[in-house]
Amino acid sequence: MIALSVAAVLAIFLLYTSIAGGGNPSISPSELGSRSEKVQLAGLVTGPVRGDAHAAGLRFGLRDIEGGSPATVKVLYTGSVPDLFKKGRHIVVDGQLRSGVFVAEPGSMITKCPSKYAPKTSDDSA
Amino acid sequence: MPELGRAALVVTLGLALYALVAGAAAAHLGRRRLALSAQNALIAAFGSTLVAAVVLLTALVRHDFSFTYVARTTSEALPTGYTISAFWGGQEGSLLLWLLVLTAFGAAAIRLNRGWAKSLVVWVVPVFAAVTVFFSFLLVAVASPFATQVAPADGAGMTPSLQNPYMLAHPPLLYLGYVGLTVPFAFALGALLSGQLDERWLVATRRFTLFAWAALGIGQLLGAHWAYVEVGWGGYYAWDPVENAALMPWLAATAFLHSVMIQERRGMLRIWNVLLVILAFSLSLFGTFLTRSGVVNSIHSFTQSSIGAWFLAFIALSVAVSLALVFWRLPLLRSPTKLESPISREAAFLYNNLLLLALCLTILWGVVYPMLSEAVRGEAVVLGRSYYDFFLRIFGLPLLLLMGIGPLVAWRRASLRALLTTFRWPTAVALVTGAVLLALGAGSSVPGLVAYTFSAFVAATIVLEFARGTRARKALGASSWPGAFTSLIARNRRRYGGYVVHASIVLLAVGIAGSSAFDSVAEAKLERGQSMEIGDYTLLYRSLDERQVSNATEIRATLDVTRGDRDLGALEAGKNAYTIEQQVSNEVGIRSDRLTGEDLFVIAEQIDPDGTVYFRVFVKPLVNLIWVAGVVFLLGSVIALWPDAREQRRLVARAGEVGIPATR
Repeated sequence: MIALSVAAVLAIFLLYTSIAGGGNPSISPSELGSRSEKVQLAGLVTGPVRGDAHAAGLRFGLRDIEGGSPATVKVLYTGSVPDLFKKGRHIVVDGQLRSGVFVAEPGSMITKCPSKYAPKTSDDSA
Repeated sequence: MPELGRAALVVTLGLALYALVAGAAAAHLGRRRLALSAQNALIAAFGSTLVAAVVLLTALVRHDFSFTYVARTTSEALPTGYTISAFWGGQEGSLLLWLLVLTAFGAAAIRLNRGWAKSLVVWVVPVFAAVTVFFSFLLVAVASPFATQVAPADGAGMTPSLQNPYMLAHPPLLYLGYVGLTVPFAFALGALLSGQLDERWLVATRRFTLFAWAALGIGQLLGAHWAYVEVGWGGYYAWDPVENAALMPWLAATAFLHSVMIQERRGMLRIWNVLLVILAFSLSLFGTFLTRSGVVNSIHSFTQSSIGAWFLAFIALSVAVSLALVFWRLPLLRSPTKLESPISREAAFLYNNLLLLALCLTILWGVVYPMLSEAVRGEAVVLGRSYYDFFLRIFGLPLLLLMGIGPLVAWRRASLRALLTTFRWPTAVALVTGAVLLALGAGSSVPGLVAYTFSAFVAATIVLEFARGTRARKALGASSWPGAFTSLIARNRRRYGGYVVHASIVLLAVGIAGSSAFDSVAEAKLERGQSMEIGDYTLLYRSLDERQVSNATEIRATLDVTRGDRDLGALEAGKNAYTIEQQVSNEVGIRSDRLTGEDLFVIAEQIDPDGTVYFRVFVKPLVNLIWVAGVVFLLGSVIALWPDAREQRRLVARAGEVGIPATR
C-alpha cells in the first residue's frame, strides 16, 4: 500500500516535471523550419567550418543524418568544442533559431563518437 | 580454427536446449536422473563456450585477420594488452564474453547449491538454460564472432580512445555485473516455478548477487574515472543513457540486497523481492538493448544492429513470463508476518527500498521519455541534466540520511526514546559539522551543505558502531584492541562489511557534493608568459611543445602553478593528434592535492597556430574522495563476500524452517 501510494505520487510528479519543463524537443535540421523555441538539434556537420568558438563563434552547417534532405541549418556555436568535432561528424547542440541562424547554447555540443562497437566507415575520413 | 569456434557455439546451443527441455520435463515429472543430466548439460555448456572463447582469443593474439572480427577490431601494431581487450571491443566478442560469464555463473551456482537445495535447483536449471539458449542462439545465428573472410594485410585497428588501460577492466566488470544478476533471477523464477518460496533462493544466491553488484559498482567507478582522466571535459558522470543503463540495475540490486535481509529475518517482502530481482535482470538486458539499438542519442554511439530487436523481444518475453509466474504464485508469496511499526528496522529498510526504487525509476523515465514522447507526440523530447540532478537530490539525500538511521533502529518496534539515545551523538556531530561548514561559507550551495551534514551524521553512526562493537568484544575477553576489532569484523562479516560499504558511500557523497556543488571554473585565452587565476591558484602559461610519438603528435602547453606563495611545479595540458585515425584527443592536466583531495584540472581547449591557448580550468574540491570511495567499496564488498562457513550453516538451517519468522 505504501509502495502503491508512493508510486502513484511519483508518477504524477514525473509527468508534471517533464511537461512543465526541463525537456527540449530533439529534432533534425529539416524539421527546424522557422520554429523558434528552444530545441535540441541533431545533425551532420557540413562545411565550411569557420570562426573561433572562443571568440565571435564557430560557424558551420548542419543537415539531416538520414533521409538525404538537402535542408541545411546555419549554426553559430561558442564554448568548448569536443575533440571529435569536424566536417562529416554527427553532433547534437541545444539552442534556438534567431533571425535565420541557429544560435547554440555555449558548451552544449556533444559529438557522437565513432565508438568501440563501430567498425571504421568511410565517413570517418570525410 | 573458425570451424571449431562455430562448432563449439553450436554445441553450447544444443546443450542449453537440452538442459531447457530435459530440465523442465524432469522438474515437472520429478525424474531425478533426468534432472541431474540436465544440470550436467548446463555445466558442460560452460566447457564448450570456453572452447569458443579460447578460439577467438587465440585468433586475436595471432592476428589472424581471416577472422572478420579480428580484422575489424585490431591491427598488427596494436599492443598485446589491447589486442586482448578487443575480445570485448566489438559486439560479437562481447556477446561471447557474456555467454561465457553466464555459463560460468550457471555452472558455479548449480554445483554449489544442488546439494542442499536440490528441489529448488531442479527448477532453476531450465530458467538458466533458457537465458543461455537466447545468447547462444544470437551468437550462432545473428552475430557470429567466427565469420571469416580473405585475410587483409592489416586490420582496421582500434579507436584511440579505447586504447587505454581502463578498457581492459571497465567493460568486463560491467559484464560480470550484468550477467551476474541472472543468478538471482534464475533462482527467483526457479522458486516461483517450484512453489518453494521460502528464503532458500535468497541464501543460495546472496554471494552471487553481492558479487555482481560489487562488480557493477566498481566497473562504473572505473568508467567514471576513465571519463574524468581521459575524456577530459571536466566531469565524471554525464547522465548519459548508456551510463544510466549501468546505474539502474545497480540501484535495483542495491535495493534488493537490503530488502533480502528483511525477508531472511522476518519473512516479509517476498513479492517485493521477487519483483526487484525481475526488475534488476530486465534492466541489465535493457541496458544492453539501449547500447545496441541506437534508439537514444548518446555520447557513446554504437553500431546500430539487428541485435536490438532481439533483445527487446527477449526482455518483453522474460518480463511477461516472470510477472505471470508471480501472479500465479501470489497466494504462496503472502508473507507470514506483517510490519508492526513504522519506526523499526524493517520500516527503515522499506523506506530505503522505496527511495532507491524511486531513483531508479526516475532515471528509467528520463531514459525512455525521448522514445515515449516520440511515439506519442511524434517528436522526441530530451530531459536534461537538471532533471536528473533534481531527482538525485530529492531521493538521494534522504537515502543518505537513512543509511545512518536504518542499521541502528531496533527490529519490529523501536521507541522514540531509544532512538533519541542512539542518535544523540551522531546528531550532535552532524549539527556541529553543519554549523562549522556554514560559518566557513558552505551555504553557497544548500544541497551541498545538506549532503555534507548528512554524511557527517552517517559517518558518526558508523564510527560509533565499530567503537561499540570493539568495546564489547574487548569486554568479552579479546586480548588487545586491534584483536577485538578484527574479531568483531571476522565474526560478523556481513554486517561490518556492510558498514564499510556504507562508509564508502559517504565518501562518494562527500566527493560528489564537493566537486559538483562547490567547484569553480575559469576560462582565459593566454599568450605565452601570461597568467590566469582561479581560487588561490595562479597559472602561468610558460611554453608550448610538440613531440612526435609512434602513432601521434603530442602538443603540450606547460603551465607553472603556484598557490599563494607556494610553488606547486609545472602542469602539462594539450592535445594528441592521431595520425592514422585522423583524430584529436584532449590530454588534460590534473594536479591532485593529496592532503585535501582537491584537483586542479586544466584543459587546453583550443591551441592556435601562433601559440595562444584557450584554457579552461576547474578547481574540484574533494573529488579524489570518489576514487578513494571505490577502494573502500571494494574492501567492504570483499569483507561481506568472504566465505563464512558458520554463517552459511546458520542461514541454511534457518531457511529450512519454512515460514517461521526468525527474530533476534
